[in-house]
Amino acid sequence: MLDNDIRTDKPVLTLKDLSIEFPTPKGVVQAVSALSLDIHKGRRVGFIGESGSGKTTTALSVMQMLAEPGRVSGGTIDLGGTDILGLSEEEMRRARLSRVAYIPQGAMNSLNPVMRVEPQMWDGIIAHEGHMDRAELKRRSDAALQSVGLPLHTGALYPHELSGGMKQRVCIAMGIILNPELIIADEPTSALDVVTQRQVMQTLKAIQSEIGSGLMLIGHDMGLMAQTVDELAVLKDGELVEHGTVQQILEAPKHPYTRDLISSVPLVGGESFLNPDARAEAPRRDSSEPLLRFENVRKNYGAVTALQPLSFTLQGDTPQIISIVGQSGSGKSTMGSIMLGFNPPSEGRVLFEGQDVAGMNAAQSLEFRKNVQAVFQDPYACFNPFYRVNHALKFPFRQFGLSKGEEHTQSAMEEACEAVGLDPDLVLTRYPHQLSGGQRQRLIVARALMLSPKLLIADEPVSMVDASLRASILSNIYDLKDKYGISILYITHDLATAYHVSDFVMVLFKGHVVEAGPPREVIGAPQHPYTQLLIDSIPWPDLQRSWGDGKTDWDPTALEAEAAKASAVYRGDVPGFDLALG
Amino acid sequence: MGRIPRDYLINRLITLVLTILIAATIIWIIPRLSPVDPAEIALGRMAAGAGSVANSEEILAQLRANMGIDQPLIVQYLKYISGALVFDFGLSTAAFPTPVSTLILNALPWTLGLMILSLLITFFIGNLLGALMVWERSPKLVKVAIPAAMVFTSIPPILSGLLLMWIFAAKLQWFPLTGAYSIFVEPGWNWAFVQSVISHGFLPALSIVVVTFGFWALGMRGLMIGVQGEDYVKLAEAKGLKPRYILYRYMIRNAILPQITAFALKIGLLIAGQVLVERIFAYNGMGKLLYDAILNQDFPVIQGVSYVIILITALSVFMVDLLYPFIDPRIRHETA
Repeated sequence: MLDNDIRTDKPVLTLKDLSIEFPTPKGVVQAVSALSLDIHKGRRVGFIGESGSGKTTTALSVMQMLAEPGRVSGGTIDLGGTDILGLSEEEMRRARLSRVAYIPQGAMNSLNPVMRVEPQMWDGIIAHEGHMDRAELKRRSDAALQSVGLPLHTGALYPHELSGGMKQRVCIAMGIILNPELIIADEPTSALDVVTQRQVMQTLKAIQSEIGSGLMLIGHDMGLMAQTVDELAVLKDGELVEHGTVQQILEAPKHPYTRDLISSVPLVGGESFLNPDARAEAPRRDSSEPLLRFENVRKNYGAVTALQPLSFTLQGDTPQIISIVGQSGSGKSTMGSIMLGFNPPSEGRVLFEGQDVAGMNAAQSLEFRKNVQAVFQDPYACFNPFYRVNHALKFPFRQFGLSKGEEHTQSAMEEACEAVGLDPDLVLTRYPHQLSGGQRQRLIVARALMLSPKLLIADEPVSMVDASLRASILSNIYDLKDKYGISILYITHDLATAYHVSDFVMVLFKGHVVEAGPPREVIGAPQHPYTQLLIDSIPWPDLQRSWGDGKTDWDPTALEAEAAKASAVYRGDVPGFDLALG
Repeated sequence: MGRIPRDYLINRLITLVLTILIAATIIWIIPRLSPVDPAEIALGRMAAGAGSVANSEEILAQLRANMGIDQPLIVQYLKYISGALVFDFGLSTAAFPTPVSTLILNALPWTLGLMILSLLITFFIGNLLGALMVWERSPKLVKVAIPAAMVFTSIPPILSGLLLMWIFAAKLQWFPLTGAYSIFVEPGWNWAFVQSVISHGFLPALSIVVVTFGFWALGMRGLMIGVQGEDYVKLAEAKGLKPRYILYRYMIRNAILPQITAFALKIGLLIAGQVLVERIFAYNGMGKLLYDAILNQDFPVIQGVSYVIILITALSVFMVDLLYPFIDPRIRHETA
């Protein structure tokens, strides 16, 4: 299947008929079945699949760090000639980091919060090579930090003083400090925005080719894989369904599941994942007052301005989806919390149907809370774990006085569940932990829908669910506009989805709107340098497209200077939405 | 280590002063809500001693003047507050005319010694055992033995005290029955006295340790379970660090942070909690002083003891607050 000439080296990792199972009281769960695969020196192999497909489990078995009660039930794991499964606990400890390094998914919490960065790199060296001169330790940690493009003073900082991208680079620096034969990177960029993702990924690629180790990259983003790896292994339900070079897989996927994975990546300009024929004419609302109005709204946190003065008017008569896009720290979530009235603006006014959100009396405030609903990023944190999910749905419905009795509540719940594609009999009586992230996020949408709001604020609603589910959840949200006439503010860093769902896009950079207009113009043909950077940073599942290979540092200060120089670009308006720039 | 931010320091200082002032005021108000007249109690005590007392009205007035309770409330309050700042709480009504501060000064070292010692021992043992209950590599025996030992936590200290006293002092006669030191030694810095203090303090300290270590162990167990699931502990393992090093530097080091705050709060609670232990062992510390004062309706002593308890608690919380930026670097960041 693969070219033979790249197989001259002995592989650094050979998995042969690897099977992993989790014995549970309800029976044995087969997490990985008979997986065979080689990773060669200097090669990057992507493991792609949905959550639960066994990709992380496979990686952890190579580290001998399977979570209880998981165990390897068959097959062999050979790391450069060493039978991993035959190693004692102490021998395995010695192999970690020095021969196989692990770069974790949650870089946010992967560093010990009470230790500075340097000692956390040193203790790795000491654990394998014994105590040594402090100057020698310092020299080696400096070299590692330098190789991932971090300034040397980073070593003396505590983890909370670093940004997400910096933390992830520290984790990469730690991983390569002992020149391992194999690096396992478990979704190393899933918590980062596109711009930072590209920096971190290019850093990882550069350093991996430099030390010539094998790389096992775990992920679910086909675009990221296409731009990063040489070979792809597609996993589904613990089975390797397809394996080949990235070119073979992208150009001629054999397995239907692989085809699904490739087609689930939303593309700018590509075919929409929403079904345009099924769109009904959006119901119109009669209203003289604009639905939402920002009057010179500005937000400061201390000396930092999170949102520069901004004015816009969103009419209520035609429902619209307005997307607000930008990197983390651009001020987009601040904007969302101002609209929800959780965060009063430092200057200016926010009007909802002509009422100042800051000056509402109790009755108006109750009405406002019913009319403006929110869907947040983390579907795991949005439910009270002590109650069944139907409580989360019933409670606001009753609280706002919408219920006409138990039967009415029940039918409203069922209707809302069906509207978001959930089977009410299956989900309503469950506890949150029994549901998947995608199901929970749909329930949050259903809960909002039950209150028939006029405005929905969706803050990164799909960034924490599997790529294959994103499209269907977004089309649920899209339906709210089409079928129920709800206007939506969609806050995201994902430009491709914003391109498809929105009527109007605002690009936010350091609290400034730098480009705004219909998505076809703003995202399809960006003019502002910052918007261009965002678009260029998206990893496309297209091998012809350059993802800035070889370049590992994008100087943020130079970028800021350039972006500040360039004036905001206004790319045309849509009926029912007026934006005043300046 | 960096220095403490000024705003943070000022903030904590204001909290400290306010806590003490408010607490001192409440302590002063509570006895004044009671219908009991301390002058009448003192008179009653005199009458009980002498059989009968002539011209009792005059004596009552005299007593009230001595105690300062014939003056308007506001004057009494201001006098009390200004006195409290220099540890002058007036004269004891039960041990009249001994100053309250003398009584407290005599009792305080005994209690502080006994309490801090037993608290430090419990804190150390409890947290270590709590951590070992969670640690994957603890011997099986440890995981069975510790929860079993938790049974002691449900025993009230009065019972554990009596039990220990009966076994080790009455039956085995390894330790003296009661008192803080033997009446046959001369108090001072000599070996015989120190030895006597240690052997007298051992059982009261043990009876406190036995019933309180479970509090720390259970708290630590919960905190360790949280820390065990943290990504940084997983990455530490993936880095091939030695298991013991991970336990100390990555797990306990992080899990102990809330326990240190609890430690400061416990100091004040312990003096109050020690009342019964000191009573059983006839240990002449603050607990016993407070116990006797309550029985005798000795308001100045109750006020004085309560004030000192609050002062010690507030000061220990303050000190932990000052210490905290050094043990948790994130605090420095948030307030800077």
